[in-house]
Amino acid sequence: MERDTLEVTNVTMPPRTCDDYWSEFRHCKSLWNRFHNYYAHGTSPSCGQWKEDYYSCREWEKNPGPETKESLQQSERNREAEQRKFTPVWDLRRDPPRDWHMPLHQGKSPDSQS
Amino acid sequence: MDQNKPQEEDYGYNLFPERNSGKFQKGSIAESLFTFNHKCQVMLQFAMETSKLTVLSCLFSAVYKDRHFSCEDCDGTVSGGFDATSSQIVLCQNNIHQQSHMNRVVTHELIHAFDHCRAHVDWFNNFKHLACSEIRAANLSGDCSFHNEVSRFNFGLKKHHQECVRGRALRSILAVRKVSREEAEKVVDEVFDTCFNDHAPFGRIPHDKKDANFAYRDFENRDRYYANL
Repeated sequence: MERDTLEVTNVTMPPRTCDDYWSEFRHCKSLWNRFHNYYAHGTSPSCGQWKEDYYSCREWEKNPGPETKESLQQSERNREAEQRKFTPVWDLRRDPPRDWHMPLHQGKSPDSQS
Repeated sequence: MDQNKPQEEDYGYNLFPERNSGKFQKGSIAESLFTFNHKCQVMLQFAMETSKLTVLSCLFSAVYKDRHFSCEDCDGTVSGGFDATSSQIVLCQNNIHQQSHMNRVVTHELIHAFDHCRAHVDWFNNFKHLACSEIRAANLSGDCSFHNEVSRFNFGLKKHHQECVRGRALRSILAVRKVSREEAEKVVDEVFDTCFNDHAPFGRIPHDKKDANFAYRDFENRDRYYANL
């Protein structure tokens, strides 16, 4: 999908600091994280993308060209898309429930739950 | 659906007898002398200030301690609950005695509050919605951490976290709804994949403090992140 050039030039910095990418990579590779991943998913974690993103980030800082930026941004967009891969069971709200911050009223009747 | 069911179903409110009338007046000396109310309040305050997961969940749900939390005596061994009609988290002061337990219960219930806040969750009529929120709460609150499971003498390793989440979600549903075990298991199976993989608001399953710190860092940097995607 082609990106509008104007959108790309408005982007001024990587989505995360380069140190954040490196620390995510190190955390991913750590023994505890590998243990937790096995405990939760039965597999080893896949950490290569964090390392790639770190190098892309460094490249962005040195030579901030559109291709470098696009590579890192696409990786992050894929990461976001992974989080939204499954169809939710419910509809999302636009605003919180109307009564979320309303004061509690005293002497509520037991039937109010229905 | 059986016509008699709405009259028999009490949606688990029997576990929280103080929801409509407490034994002692709120804030009374009798309450502080004869219940664990003060201890509950102190532990809750500590959790909201120090537990990163709790703080994150609070921030995302825009909860206020005095409006959205209530320390009460509860029946049985239940630790807490989320009352959708009053948008309140109930903490069972007679069953929570350790700070780590408080942290976990608060985070668990805040996941429910977060779901209630961000989505049209039909708690009373849609079992899939209830099951989904229970799966998420068991998954993301630390209920099913390796350490907690071992302390319950549940020794499992490969994918045991998922087994625990299923089991605890099932227990929670059976505690508050008058349904058969088979029916509850069927609903949990139907929504498990979707809901187990929904890690909002953390972006990951927080297994330990480091995960919680990383999730908190993502939250603090969210403006920069979305502006540069």
